[in-house]
Amino acid sequence: MTYFRNSIVVAAVFTILTACGPLEQGGIASQLGSVVTGGKIGGESGAASAVPVIAAPGTAALPTEELNAAPGKYIRVSARSFERWDTMLNAGSNGSRITFVDSANFSVTLENGLVVATRGLPRDLIAADVAQSWRAIQSGGGNSQRRHEFLTNLDAISTELLQCRIASQGSESIERLEKSQNATKFEEVCEGETFQFTNVYWVNGAGKIIRSLQAISPEAGYLQIDVF
Amino acid sequence: MRRSVSLASSVAMVTFSATTFVSAQDVSATYSMFGTPGLLEMPTAQSAPADALAATFGYTENYFRATLSFQITPRLSASYRYTLADIYGDPLGSGIDDTTERGFDLQYRFNDETKYLPAVAIGFRDFLTPGRIQSEYLVASKSVGDNLIVTAGLGWGQMGTRDGFSNLFGADTRPVFDENDPDGQLASDYWFRGDAALFGGLEYQINDKWGVKAEYSSIAYDEAANNLAIEADSPYNFGLTYRPRPGVQLGLNYLYGNQVGVSGSFELNPNNRPGKSGLETAPVPVKVRSNTRAPWDRGAVSETALRNAMDSLLKVEGLTLVGMEMTDTSARLRYINGRHRSQAQAMGRVARLMTQAMPPAIETFILEPEVDGIPAASVTILRSDMERLENRVGGSAELFERAQFGDAKRTAGLVEVERDENPFAWGLGPYFGINPFGGNGSASVEAGVQLRGVYKIQPNLVLSGAIRQSVVPPEDNDGPQDDGDGIQNVRTDGDLYGEDGIPFLQTLSLTHYSRPATDLYGRVSVGYLEEMFGGVSGEVLWKPVTSRLGLGAEVNYVAQRDTDMGFGFEEYDYDVVTGHLSAYYDLGSGYHTQLDVGRYLAGDWGATLSVDREFDNGWTVGAYVTQTDISYDDFGDGSYNKGVVVTIPEDFFTGVASRGSYDNTLRTRVGDGGARLSVNGRLYDEVRDTHAADLEDTWGRFWR
Repeated sequence: MTYFRNSIVVAAVFTILTACGPLEQGGIASQLGSVVTGGKIGGESGAASAVPVIAAPGTAALPTEELNAAPGKYIRVSARSFERWDTMLNAGSNGSRITFVDSANFSVTLENGLVVATRGLPRDLIAADVAQSWRAIQSGGGNSQRRHEFLTNLDAISTELLQCRIASQGSESIERLEKSQNATKFEEVCEGETFQFTNVYWVNGAGKIIRSLQAISPEAGYLQIDVF
Repeated sequence: MRRSVSLASSVAMVTFSATTFVSAQDVSATYSMFGTPGLLEMPTAQSAPADALAATFGYTENYFRATLSFQITPRLSASYRYTLADIYGDPLGSGIDDTTERGFDLQYRFNDETKYLPAVAIGFRDFLTPGRIQSEYLVASKSVGDNLIVTAGLGWGQMGTRDGFSNLFGADTRPVFDENDPDGQLASDYWFRGDAALFGGLEYQINDKWGVKAEYSSIAYDEAANNLAIEADSPYNFGLTYRPRPGVQLGLNYLYGNQVGVSGSFELNPNNRPGKSGLETAPVPVKVRSNTRAPWDRGAVSETALRNAMDSLLKVEGLTLVGMEMTDTSARLRYINGRHRSQAQAMGRVARLMTQAMPPAIETFILEPEVDGIPAASVTILRSDMERLENRVGGSAELFERAQFGDAKRTAGLVEVERDENPFAWGLGPYFGINPFGGNGSASVEAGVQLRGVYKIQPNLVLSGAIRQSVVPPEDNDGPQDDGDGIQNVRTDGDLYGEDGIPFLQTLSLTHYSRPATDLYGRVSVGYLEEMFGGVSGEVLWKPVTSRLGLGAEVNYVAQRDTDMGFGFEEYDYDVVTGHLSAYYDLGSGYHTQLDVGRYLAGDWGATLSVDREFDNGWTVGAYVTQTDISYDDFGDGSYNKGVVVTIPEDFFTGVASRGSYDNTLRTRVGDGGARLSVNGRLYDEVRDTHAADLEDTWGRFWR
């Protein structure tokens, strides 16, 4: 049947042709072509850098002294699901919430060291209410309620209500950038209707979270965050 | 004890876990050779997952079926099928012919299965027009244990041909399908008439990848003139299904007691976006003012400096600043979003950039997206709301509540930015098309290379064109044909166009967009507007930004182009005034409807009704039907057209910001009746995504 012959020929033509010119950028052919040749998906959208890959060194290679010398200016974040880590720079604050951005334009917003938003992950945390969890940490443990907002596959906001228990796991010494510090380790176990997770925090003597492992979303996994 | 720096052990310990569980019985239904949930050739009462769109290809010797099925609601599904098959000649014994069939199915499931009650469904196969596979059925399916599903049913039409018995409903006579009877009319007088027959079968799911099926088919495949040329030695069919990954099902089947068939189903679901919530880079965060009382000191920061700053900032985001108007407390900014599918997302980024640059005294942000060189809407947002609601739970919803939507304000007050983009853009790339209604009745495929050019004389006055060189031309044809129906061949000669193998002019037109008054939009297009027609097209649209209703009027005067697709109009010597009055309504819950009433290309008068199911992430699955006054008695074919339209946005797959989409229209046939001019840039589709209802659909992306 000619139908089959034609289909094969079309598929071949479609695959072989490479598109060029500004009007074709980001179009079907350029994207397909880039997939075929193993290149990055991109084009006029310029979003190649958004594809989560191991981040270019960028600020990651900042010397230890620089990180220690400017408290509050940097955090170091490792997104293990995407084998990517980078040093992120304070890009602005809104009340007690500080947004840090890395060289690949991925951002994390912290409130007292707790993640309240991310941008640039496959399933971002759009917003979060974590005030009760912070109070529980300050009190040495307790129960809390969190609300997390996500962007759904249909571009709507879904809210997950989470019931959490925070408990101290005792004191630990953590070593970082050639310095060791004593910290109290906390675990926060949260359960919602569709998922559950466990966050871990290391809080220093001044009551500041200096290291944590915090859940973002089932698709984005956990972030390890070191605050300097 | 000293603890090492590494947190690897902690990572292994803490993982996300889902708290919902799926039982084996919930493994989704498999698809039959007919592309609907079912056994081999018999249906079951199961439904596909809600909103699933599945393409199924089934092949046995001399019998090919390609089906697109859409689960419209959890219980209602519709399918479009394209069939290529051999049929017995007429009269019988005169050899074998082949046939192309296109048709629609519907299935409705009455109930969910309970512990004791089976799920029961009613279905129509190829139900709109009379045909040789047309069938109706009632079917019940019940799971036994976790892995076995038992099905039994009663079929009419083709599904009532094996050991049929007289009709339970008393309607014993079913009109005989006449091969020569044109298919331009509804087949309701066939439904559930004539003999009925029993069918049934079993499906056993071995594990989540492998399953087996067996059925007793009620299709006899009688050897009769014009019937499908299939020899069925046995009513029993058997199948093995393999699901290598979610959404893919492959089948190896033993059919009719004498041959092997294969099938493959590929399922996409708008609710399951491969690109997740998107991989765009982070936006610039909101910059909070420390002192909101300080008045704007124009001496320190001039308006020109602010305009230049915004121009540069928007460029970083891939957006284009058109112009700005500033007062002591407000800034109005007009811009073009060429990057994000969601206008709300672009808006969120523009507003955040404004918080970075604007003096603290500027409290009111007025955002005006420009489309095709004309302002399409205005959205007013308070800067203090931006500051207060960023990253806050409930912030998206509250900001939408507090934003004000309205028509764009006058262009007069704006200070325009000098446009430094190149007004000329071009692209060289492939094109391809599948024409399932080729002139000789079978599908034809065409593909080639296309050179496109766009020249913006003014932002709202655009010269655009495309030259094509076919590599796989449409199937050969014998030149313009008088098919004797007395209707101009406005579409049926489509395969003749551009088939000579030399470059041809696909389109070349000049388009002007305007805003004649508040809530009004205008378009005039002149030139070679589409493949088969050239001329003048004028359109006016009334569409208030906050209204779900839009009304439009379009008038075209066009002449039929020569088949060599050069500049000439001599070959046909046919010209026509055509046009429509259109009403567009957003019904809510993702349903949109459009009614066009007017005169079509062949001079026939009639109406087209379209209903689309639109998902907020840009997916559209729609259907339309056209009825015109071309008399069925006089002309047979063509007065009654119907089709399916599917659109899937590019960012659905890639997660990368893009305004492009993949779309295709599947028609059951194209007669010359009910054919509409295919002009680019119709207003409603150009402007609607900047209006309140569409903005609300993707408002979740404002803060993304």
